[in-house]
Formats: sequence, C-alpha cells, structure tokens
Amino acid sequence: MTQKPPRRGTALRLHRQLERIWSPDPRFRGWLTTNNNNDVGRLFLAVATLFFVIGGLLAMLIRAQLATPGSAFMGPEAYNQVFTMHGTVMMFLFAIPFFEALAVLLLPGMLGTRDLAFPRLGVYGLWVYIFGGSAVIVAMLMGLSPDGGWFMYPPLSSAAFSPGIGADVWLLGITSIEVSAIATAVEIVVTVLRYRAAGMSLSRMPIFAWYILVVAVMILTAFPPMILGSLLLETERALGWPFFQVENGGDPLLWQHLFWLFGHPEVYIIFLPAAGMIATILPVMARTTLLGYGWVVAAAVSLAVLSFGLWVHHMFTTGIPHLGLAFFSAASTLVAVPTSIMIFSWIGTLWKGRVQMKLPMLWLLGFFATFVIGGLTGVMLAIVPFNWQVHDTHFVVAHLHYVLIGGYVFPMIAAVYYFQPLLTGRFHYFRLGAVAFWLVVPAFHITFLAVHVVGLLGQRRRTWTYDEGQGWELLNLIASTASFVMAIGFALVILDIGITTFSGLRGKRNPWGATTLEWAAPMPSPAYGFASIPIVRGRYPLTDDPDLPQRIARGEGYLADTSRNRREALIVTTTTGKPLQVAVMPGNSALPILLAVVTSTSFLAPLVQAYWLSALALVGVVIVALVWVWTTAPRQSEGLVDAGHGARLPVAAESPDPPGWWGSLFLLVADGVHFGSLMFGYAFLWTVAPNWPPPSYLVPTLLPVLLALGGAAALAAGPRLAARAVATGHRTALALVLSLFGALSLATAAASVMLARQDPAGHAYDAALWLLAGHVGFHAALAVIMLGYLALRRISGHGLRVGEARIVSLWADFTAATGLVALAAAWLPGTFA
Amino acid sequence: MTNILRLALPFTIWLIGFSAIYALQGLTCSRHWPEELEPRLALIGGAAVFVVIQGLALAALLALQSQSRFVQTAATILGTAALAAALWTVLPVLTITVCG
Amino acid sequence: MLAGSLAILVLVLALLIAALLRRPAQSDDSERGTGLWLWTLGLAFPLTTLAALTVYGLQMGERLLPRDTPDLVTVTAEARQWAWTFGYPDAPGLATDGVLHIPAGRPVDVQITSRDVVHSFWVPRLAGKLDALPGHVNVLRIEAPAPGTYSGQTAEFNGAGYAGHVFTVQAHDPAAWVRFLQEGPP
Repeated sequence: MTQKPPRRGTALRLHRQLERIWSPDPRFRGWLTTNNNNDVGRLFLAVATLFFVIGGLLAMLIRAQLATPGSAFMGPEAYNQVFTMHGTVMMFLFAIPFFEALAVLLLPGMLGTRDLAFPRLGVYGLWVYIFGGSAVIVAMLMGLSPDGGWFMYPPLSSAAFSPGIGADVWLLGITSIEVSAIATAVEIVVTVLRYRAAGMSLSRMPIFAWYILVVAVMILTAFPPMILGSLLLETERALGWPFFQVENGGDPLLWQHLFWLFGHPEVYIIFLPAAGMIATILPVMARTTLLGYGWVVAAAVSLAVLSFGLWVHHMFTTGIPHLGLAFFSAASTLVAVPTSIMIFSWIGTLWKGRVQMKLPMLWLLGFFATFVIGGLTGVMLAIVPFNWQVHDTHFVVAHLHYVLIGGYVFPMIAAVYYFQPLLTGRFHYFRLGAVAFWLVVPAFHITFLAVHVVGLLGQRRRTWTYDEGQGWELLNLIASTASFVMAIGFALVILDIGITTFSGLRGKRNPWGATTLEWAAPMPSPAYGFASIPIVRGRYPLTDDPDLPQRIARGEGYLADTSRNRREALIVTTTTGKPLQVAVMPGNSALPILLAVVTSTSFLAPLVQAYWLSALALVGVVIVALVWVWTTAPRQSEGLVDAGHGARLPVAAESPDPPGWWGSLFLLVADGVHFGSLMFGYAFLWTVAPNWPPPSYLVPTLLPVLLALGGAAALAAGPRLAARAVATGHRTALALVLSLFGALSLATAAASVMLARQDPAGHAYDAALWLLAGHVGFHAALAVIMLGYLALRRISGHGLRVGEARIVSLWADFTAATGLVALAAAWLPGTFA
Repeated sequence: MTNILRLALPFTIWLIGFSAIYALQGLTCSRHWPEELEPRLALIGGAAVFVVIQGLALAALLALQSQSRFVQTAATILGTAALAAALWTVLPVLTITVCG
Repeated sequence: MLAGSLAILVLVLALLIAALLRRPAQSDDSERGTGLWLWTLGLAFPLTTLAALTVYGLQMGERLLPRDTPDLVTVTAEARQWAWTFGYPDAPGLATDGVLHIPAGRPVDVQITSRDVVHSFWVPRLAGKLDALPGHVNVLRIEAPAPGTYSGQTAEFNGAGYAGHVFTVQAHDPAAWVRFLQEGPP
C-alpha cells in the first residue's frame, strides 16, 4: 500500500451515513423492531444470564435441602420439581442460548461482515426463546412444574403417572426453545459459509468460526430427534397415541433412545463453543498463535460426529446386550482422543508463548484444573462395569457438573471478560473479578469433590432426603456450605461485569493485542460493524496489517458506497472467500416479534386446552410468514451492482443460490434428520417393542399408490420446470399447476392412510402410520403454500426470480422423496404380510 | 460446498456404519436376522463391510484432490482418523459374547 | 483406575504449570512442537491408555455376564411404585414383598421387570444396577459371598416415593435356603 495521509474526514462521513442506514429505531419500540446482531445478541445474553441466576437459585434450594439428613425444608413433591427445573433451566434456557448470544454478537465481527445472514430469523429465534422460557418459569412459580427429572422418562412422564400440565409445560416449552435454537443454527451456518471478509478462505477463518459452524450443524442434527420425542410424548399425553405404552405396542425405551440421541451430542454442543472461545482467547493471552490450527479443526469435526455415536452410554443399565454396550463403550473412550488433542494443543500454545495473567487467563486456568478431572471421570463412566455401579448416583452428578461448569461456564466467563471491551467499549478496572474467581473455583472443587465421594458411597441422585448413619452427613454439609460460597462468587462475577459495563473506563482499540478481525471494528462495535468489508490475506489479519482498522474505517474495503442507501453485506465463495454476490439485508421491522407471538401462542395454547386458539395461531403463523417473505423480496431487477474495487456483482436475491436457498438447504437437513428419527422410531418399535406385530396391517389399494407415485413425480418436476422457465423467460403457469397437482395428489395418498386406519390410539402401529401420513400431509401443505406464493408473485407483476423457484424446488424435492419413503414404510409391511 | 462435504464425509460414514453395526447386533439377537448366518459371522461380515467402505472413502478422498490444500490435508487426516475409529469401534465383535 | 486418573491429572497439570512458568525471550509463532504436543501427547498417549482401559473394562464386563452354570438359582423381581415383589420359580406360589431371599455362595439370576414406570434394581455390594422396564425382562447375575443381609435400592428416579423405595436381600446358608423354599419366610 502506498503511504497516504490520514483522512479522518472520509471515515467520519462514512460512519455517519452507515449509522443512519443501520441504526435501530431510537425510541423504546426500537427494542422490539431492531434486528441488528448487536441488539439481538445483547438481549439474548441478558436473558440467558437471568435464566442462569434462576437456575442457580434452584441449585441453592437443592443444596439447602441436602445439607442435613431428614431435612424438613422441602417435601418430595417440591424437591422433585426443583431438581427437574434446575436441570431444565440450566441445559435449555441457559447453556445453549448463552453461547448462541455470544455467537450472534461476535460472529459477524470475526468473519469481517456486517450482520448475520438472516437478521430477522435471529430476532424471531430470540423472541420465541423469551416467550417459551418465560412460560416455563411462570408455570414453575405457579407450582405447575414438571417433576420427572430433566430427561422425562416415560411412563413416569406419561399421562397415567404425571397427570396435570407439568410434563406438558416441559414438552411444549422446551420444543419451542428448540425451534428457536434451530433458527439460530441455520443463521450461523449460512453466515459462516457465505458471509465473510473478502479473501477469507476456509483455512483463514478464525478458529471460533470453525467451532461454531460445527456446533450449528450439530444443533441441526441433534435437536430433531428430541423434537420428535417430544411430539410423540405430547401426542401420547394429549391424544392417547400409545408410543410408550407397552400394552398397546409402545416401548418406553424408544424415548430413551430419542432423548439420548439428542442428549449426548447436546453435551458437546455445549462444550465446543466454549472450546472455541478457549482456542480464541488463549493464544492472545500467550501472545502467540494457536498450535496446530488444522489439528484443532479436525479434532472439532471428529468430536462432533463421534458424539452422535455415544448415546447408548446413558443406557448401559437398560439391559442392552453386552456386545451392544461394548460398541458404545469403545466409542465413548474414543471421544477422549480429539478432546486430548485440543487440550494439548492449548498447553503447547501456552508453552511456546509468554503468558499474561489477565482475568480471562485466570478463568481459563480454572477451566483446565476442572475440565481435565471431569474428562477423566467421564472416561471412567465409559467403562461398563464401573458405570453399572455409579450410574444414577451423585458421582454422575459431580462428573457432569465438572464437565459443564468447568468446561462451559468458566470459559464463558473468560469470554465475557475478554470481549467486554469490544461489546461495551469499557475496561475492567476493579479487583472484584479476581476475588470472585478465588471464591468460585476453590468452592466449586470442594463442593463437587464431596459430591463425587458421597456418590461413591452410594448416595443416589434425585432422592429428596437421606437417613442418618450412612456416612453421608459431613460430606453433604461440606458440599452445601461450599456451594453457597460458590454462589456468592458467581453473584460477584455478575456484579463485576455489570459495574464495568456501566461505569468502566473507556479505552483504545484492541486492548489485548488480538489478531482477528472483530478487533478491527470501532469500540463499542457500531450497528454496521465495519465501514467497509475488509480484505484479508492471512489467518491473522491484524498482525499482517496493523493499519487495517483505519483502512476499513476509511472505506478501503468492499461495499463502502452508501449511495444505494440500504444495508448491504458481501457474500463470498465458501472455500476461497472470493466476492460473489451483494446481499441486501432487511431493515427494522415488527414482523419477527409478531411471528414469534403467533408461533409461541400455537405452542403454548394447548397447555390450557385452547386447541382452537392454537389452530388459529397456526393460521397466523402462515399469514405473517407470507407477509414477511413478500415484503422482503425485491420489487425490480437491478442486474450487476458496484461492490467497490472494480467488482460488479449480482444482488443475492437475483442469483440462482440466494441466501434463502442455503438456509432452506440446512433447514431441510434438520427436517431430514427429524424424518430419519421418525423412521428409526417406527423400525425400533417394530423390532424391539413387545406386543408386535400389530393385530392387523394396512393393506394398500392401487389408487393411493398411483396417486403417490404420480404426485411425487409431478412435485419433483414442476418446480424444476418453473425455475427453468423463469431463467429462459418462458411462461411458468403450466409448471406451477403441475406442481400443485403433485402436492395435492401426494396429500390425498397420505390422507388415504389415515382414512384406512381410523384409530391411532389403538396400537403404536396405527399411531406411527398417522405420524408418517402427517409428515407427508404437512409438507404437501407447505409446498402448496409456497407454490401459492410463487403464483402470487407472478400474477402481481413483480416477476418471479430463479432463486425463489429453486428454493421451492428444494422443498418440493424433499417432500416428494420423504413422502415416497414414508408411504412405502406405511404400505410395504401390509403388502407382504 | 463440496469442500465442506469432503470434511464431513469420513466421519458421517463412520456414524452410519457404527449405527448400522449396532442395529445389526439388535436385529440378529432379537429377531435372528439374517436367518442363515450365525450371529457372530453376520456381525463380523457387517464389520468388514463397514471397514472396507470407510477405507474406500479415504481412498476416494486421496484420489479426488481438492483445489484447496488446507481442505485436502484436513480431509486426509479426518479420513484416516475415521478409518481408525471404525477399526476401534468394531473390534468388540471379535471378542465380546454375542447376544449375551 | 483412580490411581491412573490421578497420574494423568498430575501430568497434565504439571505440563500446564511448566508452560505457564516458561517465558521464552520471544514468542514463537511457528508450528514447531506439533510432534511432541499433538502427535505424542495429544494422539499417541490417550490412544494407548484408552486401548488398555477399554480392553480391561470389556473383559471385566464379560466376566459379569450371566452364563450357564450347574448350580444356578433363578428368582424374579417385579417393581412398582414404590415396592418390590420377589418370586421364586423353585417354589411356585411363593412371593415376598420388600425382601429378596437367595442362597449364599451360589450364582443367582434375577429376572427384573416392572409393572408401571422405569425402576432399577441395585444391590451395591452384590452387583451393578439393572433397569426394571415395563414389558421387558432383564437378567442380572448376583452372588452373595456369605449368608447375611444386603441392602438394595431402586436407582432410577420413579416419582414421589423414590427416596424410600428400598429393599433388602437376605442370603441364606444351604439349609436355611431349603427351609425357605419349603416353608416361606420365617
């Protein structure tokens, strides 16, 4: 670069123009209509912290109860609700949303872009989470919590043994939060793959981006089994479909498989973002680079997939044959290998650098001291005979707290301290943070070492009290006392961060001497993030080019031109990071919160038996979603636009693969896993459940089979023809009619299954058939709605875009393919029986 | 995108193979399927097919080079690791009591 | 296993402290050290320890499997909220509530099932736990080394009465066992 005099004027003018374009509404309503990642992330973070406090208070109640034998503080009814809620709140309402919040806040900066790929989807996810989480807490305050433990094993959680709405609160509330997590995950995946700085190839991505990409894909593949499990249990509770009732062909083990198919990856979904933070912060604290970047990426990917092969290790005591257990025991020990690679990569990084003992580093040391112990007890638990002894004792409780608090909470506290200057523009100056650290970490170890021992001495988890004389009194008293000290320490951490946020010192950019792009933004990061999209040439852009922040601010990157007067971001090729398209981001809007309101209503109304309201809200979901899509779609074509640096790029909406296409692709991954789980459940009941085969089979007739085959073919071909017609400028009407015919035929074929078997409550076979047919019907209805939208676009004269037709084509293909598989699974057994 | 798939492929195959072996174990013990084969032979056969496919995946990754050097290296590491993982996780079929 | 874990913990923490104390004159941004940190410590070290541990654990598990032996005794255990009923195929019609009677010094197969929700059968001094699932019968092999009383408990959360859901195992010498089968509990 040639020497240029500083041009502050340019930077300031650009800043003012971008502020005007990107700012939320300054009035209070701005909080409800903003979709900027800074605002969404902050709200997300605040709400998740609030849930952490609630979960912590519940933990204190548990320890107060267990402090002494024969405690009269709580009875079993209250205690069972408290421990169930503690687990539920911490796992679902705190852990996952908290790292999502940090990702929403930091990811655009790290990747060198201005916002996440689908800003409105992010807001929607936030509000669904707030509404669902609040409903769960309100139910708790009314004494209507679930009380079956956070993994809700049926038949204990079935209607017969858990009457009342406690279990329904759990199922519906948690499912809505999972919907929110999936929305955020889709947003994260597409952002990491497509929205990056120019020149940021895969190998130049900051390490956190790799971790969070892996985690987001895991959310898309691990949550659907849980959502299916919840759907099965809720239909059993509400409608009597006997998925888990042995007498009618169900099996309670099916729940355990579906739950742990989600539940084990969940542990790594929680750990990996924290690991990503460690890998980000640790090299900066040691003033060096991460040792073995490629190793760590490979370890993260393999850890993610291996974690899906461990679920049965939560079921070692269910009577599965020893060979089956042996597979999972082997896989469970194997998972320690990538973990070990990460740990030693980090220690090796510290070795080659000069470590500065700042507050974030202190918490990272807390992580090491704690997590390694948790990992070792985890390996012990993978050993089958040992597991048979300590399963469901306090040993397991202590192990999981070592892993989750040591492996997640401590690194996340480090991350909050580390990124606080960037997020608030203020610096930590108080000694309180160190005091809090020295309260939390030693107290944590005293608490949970005692809990380990008491577990080895045979104290079962989830018992509301215990008798004297078993040698547990002293250990429990120590654990409880230390846990209160730990709670005070956590309170001080929150207080410390709060004080700094509102009264810390202002300071200069990049205080830690970090090497990644998020520190190139002004502090605190403005709504637009970067004044221009940076151009990077290596993995450590701020080391390569210390002037980069100024150059970005002066508009020397891409998209510095504000004359189009709209929010724009750069889309790059996935592998090489070459500029590809210009994405136009939506402005402030109340539509996301409105959609969240109707979605949450449709989820929560069944709790008060208001099924009509639920149905009405579902119609609302369709209407609001259509308005949303309709108003964000561009009105006219503009061809290639100037992106700066002489690049003339197409607008994303006019490309054959707009962001919506990528988003749909990954949403369909989740949908596909959901469908796969449904097929697994059907096959599982067929092979394992007692009382199978069913008393009679569904025998298909010729007409529905022909309808299904013809419908699927038409549905696959129609949208393709439409996309081609749009691209070549031909008429699309015929193709759309063909698609519509296909969707309706497929739906009719599915309806024939339900008509032939009118009692889904009779046997799990019939209930499964209804779900298979329901899957087909639901997706066919979705296809009809999408086709209607395409037709409206065409009639309205705004014109159809290839991208839109291709998105519908993607959904239509999925509907046709899974529809055929579902109907074949429904019909084939009857054909051959 | 194909580069991302390249990275995801080896362990996805491992997961499918691992689940398949576990399912085969369940089927052969609870439903005596496949009927003609002795359970241990069926499982060893299944495990062999799994390992061979995993090896073929590695061979394919090595044969079809990616234009990105980073992706190529990472995919090779992941392919090798997944093959090792496949061998590790199927070893019990040789020694552990079947259907006990 | 505990000693091994402690050794690993000490090793990792010692390396960590050494890394913290080491203050090289200049930070090293290179990738030197992958051989030691990643190949040796990250990969080879856990692979060997885990291989040994897994093989050991699986062998242990093999030895605990219920195999056919000549002097095997079978009993049944049916759980419900919040009680256990035990049956004795050797003495049809005989059933005991809350106390399982077995002969000492002989292998016993407990056929475990449930009438309502999921429970788990656990006598810590005799064996690990095994779940009682409605619709399934799981078989646990136990053997009491000497006559006497062994306490047992349910080990899967099963509702409001979980804490008090306990039972005992009464192991008899051969004569007392024969008497029990003929006359029922004393």
